[in-house]
Amino acid sequence: MSQSRASQNTYLLVPILLIALLLSTAVIRGPNLVSLSGFGSAIIVSAPLILATFSLVALAVAGRGTVDLAVGPLLAFINVTIVKLNGLGIVTGPFGVILVALGIGVLYQLFFALIIIFVRVQPIIVALSGFLALTGINLVILPRPGGTAPDWMSSWGLGNTIFSPVLLIVLLAIAAWLLFTMTSFYTNLRLMGYDERAAYTSGVRINVVRIGAHVIAGLFVGLGAICYTALISSGDPTQGTTMTLTAVTALVLGGVSLSGGRGGVAGGLLGALNLFLIGYVLATFNFGSTQAFVTQLFYGLILVLSLLLTLLVPVIGRYLYFISPFAAFVVLGCVVLGIMLYVSTRDTYGVAAVASDALKTNPDVLTRYLLLPPQSGSGVALPDLSPLQKAVFGFAAILAVLTLTVRVVVSEAVSVRLGAFIYVFVSALILLLFLVVGEQSHAAGIAAAGQLVGITA
Amino acid sequence: MTQTFGDGSRGGGLFVPRSRALVWLNLAVTFVVAAISFGLGFWQGISAQVVILYTVVLAAVLFWLINYIAVIFEPRPSSLDTGSAPAAAGGVWAGNRVLIITMSVMLIVYLLITATVPSFRSLGNLIAFLLLEAILVFAFKVSNRFAHGRSAFIGLIVLLALIVISSFTINGFLSAPNIKAILLFAAFLGIACVGQTLVALLGGLDLSIPFVIGSSNIGLLFLIGLGVPSWLAVVFVLLIGATLGFLNGVLSYRLQGQALILTLGMGFAIAGLVQILTSIGSSFGGNVFGTVPKWLQNLAAMNGRTFGLAVPPTILLWIVIAIIVIVGLRYSAFGRYIYALGGNRRSAKLIGVSEFKYWTVAYTISGFSAALTGCLLLGWSGGGFIGVGDQYLFTTLAAVVIGGTSLMDGYGGYGYTVIGVLVLQVLSAFLIGIGLKYEWQQFIFGLLILPMVALYGRAPDIRAQV
Repeated sequence: MSQSRASQNTYLLVPILLIALLLSTAVIRGPNLVSLSGFGSAIIVSAPLILATFSLVALAVAGRGTVDLAVGPLLAFINVTIVKLNGLGIVTGPFGVILVALGIGVLYQLFFALIIIFVRVQPIIVALSGFLALTGINLVILPRPGGTAPDWMSSWGLGNTIFSPVLLIVLLAIAAWLLFTMTSFYTNLRLMGYDERAAYTSGVRINVVRIGAHVIAGLFVGLGAICYTALISSGDPTQGTTMTLTAVTALVLGGVSLSGGRGGVAGGLLGALNLFLIGYVLATFNFGSTQAFVTQLFYGLILVLSLLLTLLVPVIGRYLYFISPFAAFVVLGCVVLGIMLYVSTRDTYGVAAVASDALKTNPDVLTRYLLLPPQSGSGVALPDLSPLQKAVFGFAAILAVLTLTVRVVVSEAVSVRLGAFIYVFVSALILLLFLVVGEQSHAAGIAAAGQLVGITA
Repeated sequence: MTQTFGDGSRGGGLFVPRSRALVWLNLAVTFVVAAISFGLGFWQGISAQVVILYTVVLAAVLFWLINYIAVIFEPRPSSLDTGSAPAAAGGVWAGNRVLIITMSVMLIVYLLITATVPSFRSLGNLIAFLLLEAILVFAFKVSNRFAHGRSAFIGLIVLLALIVISSFTINGFLSAPNIKAILLFAAFLGIACVGQTLVALLGGLDLSIPFVIGSSNIGLLFLIGLGVPSWLAVVFVLLIGATLGFLNGVLSYRLQGQALILTLGMGFAIAGLVQILTSIGSSFGGNVFGTVPKWLQNLAAMNGRTFGLAVPPTILLWIVIAIIVIVGLRYSAFGRYIYALGGNRRSAKLIGVSEFKYWTVAYTISGFSAALTGCLLLGWSGGGFIGVGDQYLFTTLAAVVIGGTSLMDGYGGYGYTVIGVLVLQVLSAFLIGIGLKYEWQQFIFGLLILPMVALYGRAPDIRAQV
């Protein structure tokens, strides 16, 4: 590991730390999260936000301060269009609906890109204009929430199992982005975002690259709209503004630079999951009639704070060059996994040593503010792990730590990129956890939500 | 109305054409038009004093306007002919790209409305539409002759066109109550736009305005409900608004590229916090009930009276504020420094203008003006509602942009914003008048921003930047 050079991804440290804290809190406060239905509903609920954030990431990397504020209304527009067409019986089949969704997303973004390139108006103005126009037209198409999603989607939004088509869509989107980062097109895109003039003078065809970035963003929005339609299984023209705000917050929280050239799917995913978890944790506190306002306050504050944190990114890069975000990710991931397993396999919530380590608080505070009193009857009541399972877990954990440590050392020595192997490996580990939990989880469970796939980012 | 057009060297501020014949011709045209209007006035049976007054005013304005246009079109002695006309088709496209695109967008919008709203299909509307297109062509062709003030000129032309078309198509558009209503809502929007204009001149944007409006709206009613004297409550809310604006400025100073996102987050947090504060101890989450004092109602209600005149005081307040802001921006050191910073940040810093100071002051004014709008809106509606500012989320921005304040290089001013505000309000009244729903209005506003910005807010091509 070289002393002179910081990791490219130091900006990921903040979201990684945050997600560890949030996930621990979420699991301790609402243990229902660690169950089959908990994970399932978490995936369903957070999928639209994740995909909307990906769309913003693709545009933000393209530079010129492109923050597509119209992402929420566009998502809602595709949603109400699908529902409307379905209601009229014009487009009902899976192929047709997916084609319509992706087509609208791509067309809009293409239009957006052409305006930026040829009319040369600032992207933010085009985005605002699109926001206004789409918000209006959504209400014209569907004056109030209603309608029904296509029949074949009805089973998608149940969220009682982990492996749903929605998860498949999210995983495909992530995989597609990772494949995309291996191309030279992506390199050109980042160069253009970082310094457009330099890119132009070094022969990058910036117009083509920009259009490409917008098309990718459009595809992501289309996928997000499909997931959103599956989630609410109807049309809703009113949620555009909120979706935009949460997606932009997720983008900033994921350490993606709004001035271009920095950011990636990992940041976007972490940011979106963080926002989802914030909502989840806040929902476990009972604020009575002010619940919605508290959530609003927190979203706003987090957006502001995370923006201010981006000022610290260079500082972090300068002083914490010896911490690889990936190593931090692995260590914290192990800690959080331990907490999750502990919580899901105990029916009494004592003060977990791991939890107190992770949360850096003393037991008194923990028992007073963080832990729910043991519930009787309701909630999860999981039996202890069998010896065989314990052995399997122990073995898996040791293997994981060894492999990953070796891998980190090697990767940090050579380069700062994380290989695809890592993602696969960590995903496999987490799937194992799912399987164990799913096996033990009783089908009943309040449809609380939560997320673990997140730490595979 | 706005800043003077042109560079002032052509006939000073009076715009007297050089050729004597032209002046006489203009005078004749003015006389003919004035005579026609004089006759029309008596034919409609309006009282003689009013007819005479209107005729004189019309004649004066028309004479000045025709002279002005004549001066604009006069061949300038110093300038050489700029080459011959380029190749026909390509030349037409290259020279009038924006115009053609704008016209086709308008055509599409017109066809859309015609297709969806059956009551819209009438000969009058078709004529009005063609007239609008003709006015657009005229505005574009004339505006190419301006070095500065183009956007204001176009804005005024569009405003004029809108008023003409509205009076043709909508009965009672020019009636006193309707004009009063338009002006009242324009006043609310205009006051909210004061801060947005200053911030935009410096190259930032403030999206916390709607949230501050909503928060001050319920906060003021809450304070009055607690038994605080109403004047004190208003002062307190205004101070809080200014403080929030100051906070916005301080926080966004280092993040100027992302000021828009930051203020959006701040606004969200503020709205949440105020709702928490006002709903603690009340069983109605987020809804505040109370009685609005009489003086505040009179200040902003449609039937408000100023010193006995049947004009809501808010309109006069807006006029006063507009004059103060326009004069302040043009003649005070503060205003000039804001232009300096907006125009070239680095040069301004080198001559010792404190960027931090002006940035935060602009945001402070923005918070203050938003809070003031919130208080006035409480007087207008008589009940606190957090969502009262929602429509201002982008309309403030749209007004600034349509008026012609550039978001990049510190060009523009509050006078332009006033034009933008009036255009938006008249357009909105027109759209309501022809029976369009609010949703369609939003759609049209959204589409309107783009061509307006394309007129004067275009970045140079990348080839020109390298």
